[in-house]
Amino acid sequence: MVLHVWAHAGQEAERRVLQAQLERFNQQSDESQLKLTFIPERDYNAQVQAAALAGDLPDLLEFDGPYLYNYIWQQHLIPLEDLLPPALLDDLLPSIVAQGRYAGHLYSVGVYDSGLGLYARQSALQQIGARIPASAGDAWSIDEFNQILGKLAARDSDQAVLDIKLNYTGEWYTYGFSPLLQSAGADLIERRSYRVSDGSINNAAAVSAMQQLQSWIQQGYVDPNLDDAAFAGGRVALSWVGHWEYERYRHAHDTDLLVLPLPDFGQGSRTGQGSWNWGISRASRHPQVAAQFIEFLMRTDEVLAMCDANGAVPGIKSAVQQSTLYGGQGPLALFAAQLTHGVSVPRPKTPAYPVITTEFQNAFQQIRNGGDAQQALNAAAQKIDQDIADNQGYPFIEQ
Amino acid sequence: MSGKQRIAASAVYLLLVALAFAFLVPVAMMLSGSFKPDDQVLVQAGRLSRLFAAEFSWFNYRDVFARVPFARYLFNSAFISLCVVAGGLLVNSLAAYAFARLHWPGRDRLLLLVVALMIIPLEAIAVPLFYEVTLLGWRDTYWVQIIPFVANAFSIYLFYTFFLGLPRELEEAARIDGAGPWRIFFRIVAPNAKPVFATVAILSFLTQWSALLWPLMVTHSETVRPLPLGMATFYSLPPLQWGDIFAFGVMMVTPVLLIFVLFQRWFVQGVATTGVKG
Amino acid sequence: MKNTQLAWLFVLPALSGLLCFVLFPFVLSLILSFTNLRLGSPLPLEFVGFKQYQRIFTDAAFLAALRNNSLFALIVVPLQTGLALLMALLVNQPLRGMVIFRSVFFMPVVFPLSLVAVVWILVLAPGPQGLLNQLLETVTLGAWQARDFLHDSAWALAAISLTSIWQGVGFQMVILLAALQGIPQALYEAARVDGANQWQQFVFITLPQLRNAIIFVVLVTTILAFRLFDQVQIMTQGGPNHATTTIMYEAVNSAFGSQQVARAAAMTVVFFIVVLLLTLLQRAVGRQQGVN
Repeated sequence: MVLHVWAHAGQEAERRVLQAQLERFNQQSDESQLKLTFIPERDYNAQVQAAALAGDLPDLLEFDGPYLYNYIWQQHLIPLEDLLPPALLDDLLPSIVAQGRYAGHLYSVGVYDSGLGLYARQSALQQIGARIPASAGDAWSIDEFNQILGKLAARDSDQAVLDIKLNYTGEWYTYGFSPLLQSAGADLIERRSYRVSDGSINNAAAVSAMQQLQSWIQQGYVDPNLDDAAFAGGRVALSWVGHWEYERYRHAHDTDLLVLPLPDFGQGSRTGQGSWNWGISRASRHPQVAAQFIEFLMRTDEVLAMCDANGAVPGIKSAVQQSTLYGGQGPLALFAAQLTHGVSVPRPKTPAYPVITTEFQNAFQQIRNGGDAQQALNAAAQKIDQDIADNQGYPFIEQ
Repeated sequence: MSGKQRIAASAVYLLLVALAFAFLVPVAMMLSGSFKPDDQVLVQAGRLSRLFAAEFSWFNYRDVFARVPFARYLFNSAFISLCVVAGGLLVNSLAAYAFARLHWPGRDRLLLLVVALMIIPLEAIAVPLFYEVTLLGWRDTYWVQIIPFVANAFSIYLFYTFFLGLPRELEEAARIDGAGPWRIFFRIVAPNAKPVFATVAILSFLTQWSALLWPLMVTHSETVRPLPLGMATFYSLPPLQWGDIFAFGVMMVTPVLLIFVLFQRWFVQGVATTGVKG
Repeated sequence: MKNTQLAWLFVLPALSGLLCFVLFPFVLSLILSFTNLRLGSPLPLEFVGFKQYQRIFTDAAFLAALRNNSLFALIVVPLQTGLALLMALLVNQPLRGMVIFRSVFFMPVVFPLSLVAVVWILVLAPGPQGLLNQLLETVTLGAWQARDFLHDSAWALAAISLTSIWQGVGFQMVILLAALQGIPQALYEAARVDGANQWQQFVFITLPQLRNAIIFVVLVTTILAFRLFDQVQIMTQGGPNHATTTIMYEAVNSAFGSQQVARAAAMTVVFFIVVLLLTLLQRAVGRQQGVN
């Protein structure tokens, strides 16, 4: 029997690891063969949606974080808790469980989770006499952060001292910057019933937080990063980005590299979580084999192999402990800590997520280009609420 | 040449060179960028002197082949484009001939419909068309990228205006000799319509070669995906590798450029006899 | 009648293709625009009358798209046509090396729009390093201040227009050139005998002879202007602040970004009506001038 597996085409190292894992799994079994297809990241969700419509989803496939819930709502996935061993379920990171659970069942498992923070060059910070935060609880306040930006800019020839990956497109903006809202006391949507965005995404705290970000851009502190090398090339001292840049940055700055929490906009430093996770489609005729592959991928050494390749946070506690990057005093221990101690906030767990993220991205683009923050966020709230109303609040119909 | 003429000629050349400059510089940037290591591509991209900078290597080209099955993409694009062009030349010219030369009830009204359909671009019907091909089970194949595009209202229109302009004597003579419409079309009309066939072929080929939105929606396997999608892969993989992107671009464009250079004269001739009638 | 049957045989392949793959989806689009269809939803499909249309005509983004498409057409059509005419006139001169220039001008037409967009992102790079910024600084002797064209709401549409003109003008040039070469020399000779100078020859012979070609070129370019999508998708994603969004961009995003198929369908119907009206208008104007 042949099972089809879809994965996103991530970094080359990731792809090689997954390919190797698949081959090893195939060698173990005589009866079942897994066939892997890589889909470019940018249109991954569109492709999955298209396949879902056509009724030819693969047996096993990845989902990009919170896009999962829309597919669950469309009845395309099956619960996993009965297909996976309890020992594995216990070993999962709480954030992974939180990500995969919906309407009372566990629908997906992530091999890794993500980390988001502020990379910095220690030497640059020392030059201006900035305090180095020791943990997320110790993060810079927004006033401190503004001061640091100003002092760094004074010493920088082109004034640009911060990189926030303006060259990225798509989901990055929601992932990277909705923590801003949460840190300020706002949110993308209220989390009690997930029905209303108005009052959360566009309240005074949200507007003020986005205006802060806008001011950094307007004052020239932010590098446009067309070549994606602002931090790696040493042009800026700070880079607001996730775990995936760690390898490259470490290669560029070695011991001068610091990993710091995001600034505190008032309610404490917040950060993002969630990443690619695996689910089994309802249409699959061999869910047990698919589940066996998930189990295989979640073995400690396999998880570590993948995390070595992409620098992500391992999805199981045993792997975190053994990881040189994330365990103990490792350089990225901050990311692991943020995920286990509630500093990280999951993106909204609702089938409305695709619309929420599209509208937030639109609002962000407007704000980044100098538009009125209140107006942009109001427009986003209106569209999101309209969509939820159109879908009658996304009622979950159990099958 | 008289002095006045010489001045006029110089002015013409000056203008032409200035314009040519505007057209060549972005292309030169792409070409030179394709030979540089990635971190050098953007360094002082504004300086013209950087266009001829020292570091010259084929690395990006080799990298393109290593990272994606470029040869496969190239084959896919070529195969799909050629099928659409070949099929289109046949069915569209036949239909246009019927509109131009044959008499049958409903002809004029159908012609109006065809002209109206010219306005509808792919983007306007992409989603319903997507549902349609999904129901037919054509997703992720070559055929889904070929069959919907063979019949083309604009091609029919170009053929139609051209056939209208052909002198009737040849066809009349053949009819008197007893030849039916089939023979007249294939033996007499078509051979005398080379310019319009060339024009339609080139236009159609160019459209298909650069198709992005449709293949993006309906395919996901590398075995059937065309070139523009391969480029999108690079563009979506962090870190951004401009050197590779440019190398890909150069390779993507070169075959078509060569074809055009070779068949330039036919194309211009074809355009002259069709587009002008408007 | 055998003749009719034969005619139908000629027409059937192309016609069935057009009916199946153009007309039918379009009619489907029309029907869908009156529903609330979403891309993949377990909720039942409903007819909602004109709700989608009401929504898009009160949506700032869609209204901006209508405005942008119109602006874009107003900028690009005259500029591109004028430039194409100039280039055709230059290349038509009996001087050496014209074939080379003709090839150079036509070259960008052969580039897929997606590639053109990517290359121009670099040409338009912000800061004094960017190619265009440097050029403008040189040409204005330092008066020019470097701008981030694609992220500046005042310049973004202009930047996209420039990119589009660069890619498309060669095609129009070839059409106009062909028409130019079709003008009988006898007309010019007669005019010269009558004492007409270069300018008068241009206005009274060249332009009228080119009328059909110019009309054709203007019509095609206008329709293409309303189809604007690829460059926006790649270079600006509709921004900044809806300064470059277009009808097609909004439609594709509604369908695949927000999964609102019915809303996208309504947009494409509006698009079709707008372009249809424009086409009819241009044909009417063209015919009238012919009468005069």
